[in-house]
Amino acid sequence: MPAVTELDRATRTATVHVRGDLVIPTAPALYGELRGVAKRRDVKKVVVDFAEAGRVDSAGLAVMSLAARLMARGGKAFDFAHLSATQKAALELLPASGAAPPAVEAEAQPRLPERVGALLLEYAHAGGEFLALVADVVRQAGQVLARKKKLPAGALLHQASTMGVDAVGIVGLLGVLLGTTLAFQALVQLQRFGAGVFAADMIGVSMVREFGPMMTAVILTGRTGAAIAAELGTMRVRSELDALDAMGVSPTRFLLLPRLAALTLTQPALTLINMFLGILGGLVVMMLAMHLPPSVYWAHLVSRVSLHDFLLGMGKSVLFAWIIGFTGCHFGMRTSGDASGVGQATTRTVVVSVFFIILVDALIATLGAVF
Amino acid sequence: MADILVECRDLSVGYGDKPVLSGIELQIERGSIVALLGGSGCGKSTLLRAITGLQPPMAGELHLFGEDLYAVTDEARRGLLRRTGMAFQQDALFGAMSILENVAMPLREITKLPTAIITEMARIKLALVGLSGFEARAPNSLSGGQRKRAALARASILDPEIVFCDEPSAGLDPVVAATIDDTLRRFRDALGITVVIVTHELDSIRAIADRAIMFGNGRIVAAGTVAELEESTAPDVYNFFHRIAPTHPVNGQALDQLRHPRTA
Repeated sequence: MPAVTELDRATRTATVHVRGDLVIPTAPALYGELRGVAKRRDVKKVVVDFAEAGRVDSAGLAVMSLAARLMARGGKAFDFAHLSATQKAALELLPASGAAPPAVEAEAQPRLPERVGALLLEYAHAGGEFLALVADVVRQAGQVLARKKKLPAGALLHQASTMGVDAVGIVGLLGVLLGTTLAFQALVQLQRFGAGVFAADMIGVSMVREFGPMMTAVILTGRTGAAIAAELGTMRVRSELDALDAMGVSPTRFLLLPRLAALTLTQPALTLINMFLGILGGLVVMMLAMHLPPSVYWAHLVSRVSLHDFLLGMGKSVLFAWIIGFTGCHFGMRTSGDASGVGQATTRTVVVSVFFIILVDALIATLGAVF
Repeated sequence: MADILVECRDLSVGYGDKPVLSGIELQIERGSIVALLGGSGCGKSTLLRAITGLQPPMAGELHLFGEDLYAVTDEARRGLLRRTGMAFQQDALFGAMSILENVAMPLREITKLPTAIITEMARIKLALVGLSGFEARAPNSLSGGQRKRAALARASILDPEIVFCDEPSAGLDPVVAATIDDTLRRFRDALGITVVIVTHELDSIRAIADRAIMFGNGRIVAAGTVAELEESTAPDVYNFFHRIAPTHPVNGQALDQLRHPRTA
């Protein structure tokens, strides 16, 4: 036991004798002892006796500070006895007014209409910033195309290599897996009606119109969109974007344009690879499961998949690239704070991109069916 | 016999296969305030990284509290490092936590103290570095000087036997720098914490350091009391204490070298 309490009933004084070091391992027991004394109604004064005490560390200081407040709250006097010079020096580290938290005025919580209004204003502000970003990108792209300004040397090639070439493996692999899954599912259903061969038509149309562009976009959202947001967000947090502004260099032209241009070029190419390998995966399943000759598979594809389907798929891939690129740039540039802000920007990029990709895809499908 | 907390024996530290420091021999005694001096890139921070277990040495031995830091098990090394505190040059505060949570974090993770004592300890340490009232603030809402002070409070929260500070007062105004110096001295005087600082601030060195060790060209070029170093006539030491720029390598003949007689 690091402390023993003696009570002098005549003077109603409790003396707490501290024994040994008053440090992290012993502090909780002493704190418990002092809390017990603070609750006693027969005590008017509490003295902590350091005659047998050793070293006092920050935990000991914290206990003394807490005890002083407890006693003050209970209307008890509080004092120390037999302090050595070192112990006194340690206790003098305590702030004069105690380390009590300053009183903080309770802030009025906004009501529901105010919260909704604030949220709408926030969205409107973010929307305005997004449109301003798009306008700036278009203006800078126009100046680059008109050869009035130029992109940083090698930036487009570097970005295209990172976003495109490095992604070929994962995009191709998932294309094959998607094609085989699609073929299996289609065969199971269509063979019940003796129409298994028409699975080739279904694979072709699905991969070219929907799955190719959509799957590639989803992969690139997680891979490229998140990377753009994280990279720009980190630069914002480290004041690198401010440095560009201060130098009179447009961050849009220096950072955003190469990324957006690279994505616009590489996403259709990756989509094409995904479509082709998906169709190839379907062919393998059809050959193994139905012993369908490749020529028949090919004939069905050519007769069913039109140039219009192909152009629609490629057009969507460019649209999706812009959704991913602009969303990543928008949230990356709006990053504030520190590492957690970068994480938030990345998460928002992925969620918002996927939402708008699916929304735009659904709109195109609906418009295509209506008109 | 003096109680030695840190001892380097023929220590070489570097990155990859390039040593930044070689043949370092030094001892840091308990209860002292030691300043590590030298020009930028001379290896002071690299030595701190080695002492705090972040940069394994290329050669030699590094003893912390009498144990060879890089020869013991990982668990034992963590145990030794818990007896130290480190205030990084870039403050390294956690952005997702408030200032109070940042300072209290080592206590919550390492000790089993009740929350009331942990919170009180963190408040006391924040008050010591002059940050009372900043408990609930986020690190990114503080100025550079305030962040450095919060980092110092966190580094000392476990009452380490030795605390390392990498440029604690760099870029701060003289009043804040003096506050940090005063806090470090109080840590040593009242809590018995040994202090090792890496600094370029001459005023800080004169105000608090008992001993100074000067680095240059990857080696220790001088060591002794601050007064001894100030009286030294060794060029590196003299230039440092008298703020004298070394002779510039440009010889003023570049233009002549560019001019050449017309060739036929």
